[in-house]
This record gives sequence, structure tokens and C-alpha cells, in this order.
Amino acid sequence: MKRLSRGLRALADCAPIENTKAPDHRMRTAVSRAKRTEDFGTQQAFDRAVAKLVEATPVSSEIRHWFANEKMAEGTKRSWRKTAFHPAILAIGIALAVIAVVVWIKFAEQMHAFPGTATAKKLLNVAAMTRPSEFEPVQTEAGTLNDLFFMKYRLEHYDVPREFSQQRTIGVRKFDDEEAGQVAQIGLAEKRMQLFLFPAPRDSKTGKPEEFAGWRYIEQEGWTGAVQVRNGILFMAAVRGTKKDLAPYLAK
Amino acid sequence: MPQEILVDHFLTPWACTAEILCFPFRVATLPQLYRFCFLMTGEATKAQDIFQDTVREAAFLAANGEAPPDRYWFFREARWRCLDVVAHGVQPEEGTNQACEISPHAPEQIEQLEPEQLAIWISAAPEPQRSILALYYLDEFTYREIMLMLGLKLHELSRAIASGRCEFQAWLNATVPVAAPE
Repeated sequence: MKRLSRGLRALADCAPIENTKAPDHRMRTAVSRAKRTEDFGTQQAFDRAVAKLVEATPVSSEIRHWFANEKMAEGTKRSWRKTAFHPAILAIGIALAVIAVVVWIKFAEQMHAFPGTATAKKLLNVAAMTRPSEFEPVQTEAGTLNDLFFMKYRLEHYDVPREFSQQRTIGVRKFDDEEAGQVAQIGLAEKRMQLFLFPAPRDSKTGKPEEFAGWRYIEQEGWTGAVQVRNGILFMAAVRGTKKDLAPYLAK
Repeated sequence: MPQEILVDHFLTPWACTAEILCFPFRVATLPQLYRFCFLMTGEATKAQDIFQDTVREAAFLAANGEAPPDRYWFFREARWRCLDVVAHGVQPEEGTNQACEISPHAPEQIEQLEPEQLAIWISAAPEPQRSILALYYLDEFTYREIMLMLGLKLHELSRAIASGRCEFQAWLNATVPVAAPE
């Protein structure tokens, strides 16, 4: 045994007593190497004799009563309900559910994203903070303001879509935003709604304005915006409320 | 069945029928559990008490829907009970045991022993050697299972077994000397 490496010798010291199959490869190796030595045979004979003596331990009849019934040992399988309510499984389940919800929210956001989403959200914040007094008073129909924007501010294609062209305005203003560029903001009398017109973001390769079809909704801190792009200009109608508040206008 | 009635039912050992004791435990292991208790304590009465307490505890847990998960539970539980009982009993004298090389005549010497003598010798060994020898000579568990149950490393396990053999051989030589060849 002394010829064996320290690791194999340690394993050979704990070798299975009966000639049962060793539990792992390293033990099999240790046993097969140790068998080439004389003292391993002596050790095995010693261990077998001790194990035989242990097996010969008398068991009183009172003790035998406890294991008389063989069916007792069949055991039960853990039910699926118990497995499901195990704290570890429960914690993993909750964590996976939270991850799934977050992934779903992110996915839904991506599905509804459009070029200029970030700018439009920023302008929803502007809408929330703008007071009516900040507008230059102009009381007219929103559809007629494109001439004003062109003549006064040289803003081309800043046209209000026909869905909102009949709305009465209370004022307008134009401001420059770092991200959005030149923004035209219109205050409406109805529902204190606000309209925004600003340039659509441009494709970095082609330089053309990025466009999309139809209306897209965004929501931000209690405000909802309906966004459309036309001729490279994004139009957004913003209202404090939900999609339901904007839907009747878009259906026109 | 109300829980109180179930518990009372368990207090009679022969009430442990299949319908009550439904934990994953092989019948063949129960005698081994008793032998383990016997080797750990060195006394049949103490071993019997610990064995019964352990199985009763398992039955109680099973009745509450928390059946012991595996057979290791029984031996862990019994081990703690044995250590507790032994700690409150008469303690063996401390001192270094003599050790001898394992003799080729050891099987003949061991044949002359009674199981009680072996149990007394093992129960007098210091921990964790006592638990290691008891589990190892049950020939019920692999070395990995013993390491797992006792939280030991391989070198600790092998050292305890190897030194246990040599010390037991020394005790054998003193107790059951080999007859001189004619």
C-alpha cells in the first residue's frame, strides 16, 4: 500500500468491505492498484471479519417489531403540490415570473417603439409643464397654422393633420430643443390638449427622415401622445389621460 | 384523523404500519440503524431507546407531511442522539491507544469476539472516529456517503479508519492473543 500515491492510499483505506462495485472511477483505480499489494488483502480480510461481527449483532424481538412490516419502507413520492410549494421552487418560480413580466414589458415597448420615441416622450414632459400663459395667444383653427409657421419661423411642412385641423387653438410657441430640433407647440382649447410638430429623426446612413405608417401611442406620467409622421415631420397630439381620450379624434 | 390521535397512535411501536409510516426508507436499513446505535453507544438498551426515538420522530414527521427526505436523515438523527446519550454517560479514559500493524491472523481473533465487545470498543473511540467506524463497518454506505453525512474530507475519513484498524488490532492482540504455533 505504501507504493500507492497518497490519494489512492487514502481511497484504499476506505475501500468497500465486500467485493461490491466501487462507487466511482477513482475508487476502482485505487482498489485495483491496492490489490497488487499484500497488505490490502490483509486489510480486506480484517474489514470483512469486523463487518461480519457487526452483522451478527443480536436484535431483540422488541426491536424486530419495528421493522416487521415490509411495506413500511416503500415510502412516498413527493407530490407535485408539495414540490411546487417548496420555498426554493417557489422563489425560483416568482423570480422567473418577474423576469418574464419584465421581458414582456420590454418586448411590448420595443413592439410599439418608433423613430423618435425618446423625443416624443421628452415632449410629453414639456406638455405637462407648459402653462397656457407661455403660449403666444393665437385663436384660430389648428389647420391654418402651417402658414404661420412657414412665414414666421421658416418651418416647412409643419402641417397639422386633418384629424386635428378643426380644433380651436389658444396659442402657439416655437422653441429649439437639443434632441428634437425646432419644435412648434400648439395649445388647444379642447381638453387642454397640446400639439407638437418637430423634425423626424434621420437615418444615419441615408440621411433620409425615418418614417412609419399610421398612428403610434406613447404614454408618460399620466400623459398620452398619438404620433404620426408626414413629410419628415413628426406630429404629436398630447393629452392628459389615456388612449381612450385620444381615440375619438383619430377615428375622424 | 386529528393530529393528536395520530401522534398517540405512533407512541406504540407496533403501530408503525405502512399507512402511517410512509417515509422513503428501506426495511433492510432499519436493522442497520439499530446496529449503528449499538456500535455508537455500546449498550443494547441505549441503542434500543435511540432507535425507537429516531423511528418515532420519523413517523411523527411523516404524519405531519414532512417525511424524512432520505435514509441519511435516520443515521444523522440517530448519531446526534447517540452522541448526546454517550456524553451524559460514563466517559472512557483519555489517552493514546496503542497501534499495531494489521495481522493476517486478525480474522481468527475477531471470530472469537462477541458483538458487544466490538461495540464497546467502538463506542469508546473519540469522535468523529467513533461515528466513522460505526458507519464504515455497517457496510451500508460508500465512503462518499459517509463523508457527506459526517461532513468530513477524504483524508480525515481514511486516517480515522486506518488508525482505527491499527488500534483495534492492538486491542485484539491484548484481548485475544493469537495462539503460538506448535
